[in-house]
Amino acid sequence: MSDATVFIIDDDQAVARSLRWLIESVRLKVETFTSAQGFLDQYDPARAGCLVLDVRMPGLSGLELQERLKAQHGYHPPIIFITGHGDVQMAVRAVQAGAFDFVEKPFNDQDLLDRIQRAIAHDAGQRDREEQRSQLKALFASLTPREREVLDLVVGGMSNKGIANALGLSAKTVEVHRAKVMEKLHARSLSDLVKMALQNQGG
Amino acid sequence: MSEWSGTVWLGAVALVLLLTLGAIILVYLLMRLREVRQRLSDREAEHEVVLDRLQENENRLRAVFESEPECVKLQSADGTVLEINPAGLALIGAEQPEDIIGRKIFVIVAPEYRDYYRENMRRVFAGESVVYEFKAITLKGRSCWMESHAVPLRDARGNIHALLGITRDITEHKWAEEQARRHQSELTRVARLSTMGEMATGIAHELNQPLAAIANFARGCLRRLRGGEVTCAELIVPLEEICQQADRAGEVIRHVRDFVRKRVARMSAVDINLVVRSAVRLTELESRQQYAHVGLDLAPQQPRVWADSIMIEQVVSNLIRNSIEAMAEARSPHREVTVKTRQLGEDAVEVEVSDLGPGIDGALIDQVFDQFFTTKPDGVGMGLSISRSIVESHGGQLRAESRPGGGAVFRFTLRAIGRTLADNERRYSLHH
Repeated sequence: MSDATVFIIDDDQAVARSLRWLIESVRLKVETFTSAQGFLDQYDPARAGCLVLDVRMPGLSGLELQERLKAQHGYHPPIIFITGHGDVQMAVRAVQAGAFDFVEKPFNDQDLLDRIQRAIAHDAGQRDREEQRSQLKALFASLTPREREVLDLVVGGMSNKGIANALGLSAKTVEVHRAKVMEKLHARSLSDLVKMALQNQGG
Repeated sequence: MSEWSGTVWLGAVALVLLLTLGAIILVYLLMRLREVRQRLSDREAEHEVVLDRLQENENRLRAVFESEPECVKLQSADGTVLEINPAGLALIGAEQPEDIIGRKIFVIVAPEYRDYYRENMRRVFAGESVVYEFKAITLKGRSCWMESHAVPLRDARGNIHALLGITRDITEHKWAEEQARRHQSELTRVARLSTMGEMATGIAHELNQPLAAIANFARGCLRRLRGGEVTCAELIVPLEEICQQADRAGEVIRHVRDFVRKRVARMSAVDINLVVRSAVRLTELESRQQYAHVGLDLAPQQPRVWADSIMIEQVVSNLIRNSIEAMAEARSPHREVTVKTRQLGEDAVEVEVSDLGPGIDGALIDQVFDQFFTTKPDGVGMGLSISRSIVESHGGQLRAESRPGGGAVFRFTLRAIGRTLADNERRYSLHH
C-alpha cells in the first residue's frame, strides 16, 4: 500500500495543488494532472492507487476518461469524483458506470481522505486477487495433460480406483499423478485442491 | 245737318273703339301685374325657405358646437380666442365666455410650450392641418397635457381668417404612457436580473473553486500542525496559496458586482466612433503591457445609434481586452487588434473587433458566449456572456467567427437612428 499513488485530475490548477497539499498530509503519494488526456497519455495500469477527478472538466470529461480506461485496460483504479453543487446527478451516473465513489463540494477533508483510503484498499484488494488468480493460472499451466485429467476426475469426486479404470491406468500410476498434482499446486489436502480448481475455473 | 251728324257719329264710334282698346290694354296690364305679383310672392316664399334653411343649419351647427364634448375654438392669427364652446370653457377652467374670448390663447399655454404653440399656429395660417401636444395651465391653475387638432378656416374668397381647433385633455393618456415606459424599463431590469439569476449557479461554481482550494490548503496546514511534524518554512507556500485564492474569490465577486448593478439603460443618440475611441482608451494599459496595438478603421460619416454609451463602451473594451489576452496567451508575434465601424444598410451600424491571435476553435465557437465559459487560465467567463446580453438588449446581435488565416472576429450591430427615432427624440425633447 505504501507505493499507492493518488492521481488528481483537475483543470483548476489551484484546486489540484490544494488537494495535493491536503492528501500529502496523510503521507500518500500524489500526482496531479490538469486534464484527463494528460493522465491517459502517461497511464500505467500497473501502478496502484486511485483517481480523484472533477466531474466537470473541459475536453475529455471524467466520465469519458472512466469509459476509456475500462475499454482499453479492462481494469482501472477506483475513481472518486468530486462534484460541484448541483452535479449530483452526474455523479450518480458516474457511479452507475463504475466509479468507486463521489464527494460533493464543499467536502469534509476527513471524509475525502477516508474515501481515498478505502479506494486505495479496494484497489489493493483487486490487485491481490488478480495476482492470486494469475499465480494460480501459472500453477495450473505447469500440469501435464495427464495430470490435468487426473485432477479433473479427483475434483469430480472419483476414487483413485475409479480414475484408474476410467483412464486405463494402474492405481499406482494414478497415485503418482495425484501426488505430483498436489505438489505442483502446493495443495496440502484434497479440499485445498478442490478450492483451487474452482477458483481457477471462476477466473 | 247730315254732314254734322255724320261727323258726330264717326266721333262716337271712334271714342267707343278707343275706350274698348283702352279697356283691353288695362285688363292685359292688370293681368300682367297679377302675374308679376304672384311671381314675386313665389320668389319671396322661396327666399324664406332658404333663409329658414340657413337658420336651421346655423342652429344645427351651433348645437353641435355647443354640445361637442371636446373643446372647439376659433382663434385669429394673433392667437385671440374668437369663439369657444362650453366644453372648451370647462377645459380651460373659464366660468363664462368673457373669461377667455377676446384674450390670447397663450394665457393657458405653459410658458415652455408657447413658442412651439406659435409655430403650430403659424403653420395652420399657412394652410396646413396640424396635430400637436402641449402642456397647459388652466385658468384655475391646473396643469395638464393637451392635444390639439387644428385646421385653417377660409372665407368665401378662400382667405384663411381663423384657426379652428379641437383640443382634448390627454393627461391621463400621457400618464399611462409614462407608466408604460416605466413598466418597460422595469421589465428590462427584471430581464437583466433573471439573466443574472441564471448566472448565479455559474457564479457559485466560480466561487467554489477558490473556496475549495482555500479549505484544502488550510486543512492540510492544520493536519500537519496537529501532527507536529511541520516546519514554519513549509507552511509559507500553502499560506501564500490561500491568500491568492482569497484574492481570486474577491475578484469574482468584484466582477459580478460590476455587472449586476441595477442600472437602467440610458439610451441616447450616440456617435459610435466616440464610444469606440473611449473604449480603446480604457484598454490602453493592457495593450501596452502586452505589446499589442489597437488600430482603428472608423467610417467617417454614419448615422448615430440609439444606445447606452457606457454599456456599449463596456462591450467594445471587453472585446478588445479579450483579443489582447488571447494574443498574449498564444504568444502571437504580431499583436494587432482592429476596431472597425461601418454603416450596414439604412438602419444599422456594425462594430467589428478583430485580431491576429489564434482564433476560436471551431468546436468552441458556439460556447464562447456561455456563462463562465473561458479559455483563460484565470478568466471568469462572464465578459462575452454579458457583452452579448448588452448588445441584445439594444436590439442587436453579437457574433463570433474565426478567420481562415487565423484570428478571431467579433461583430455586433446597433440600430441606427432612422427618421422615426429622430422624430421620437424630437417629440421627447419637446415634452421634457
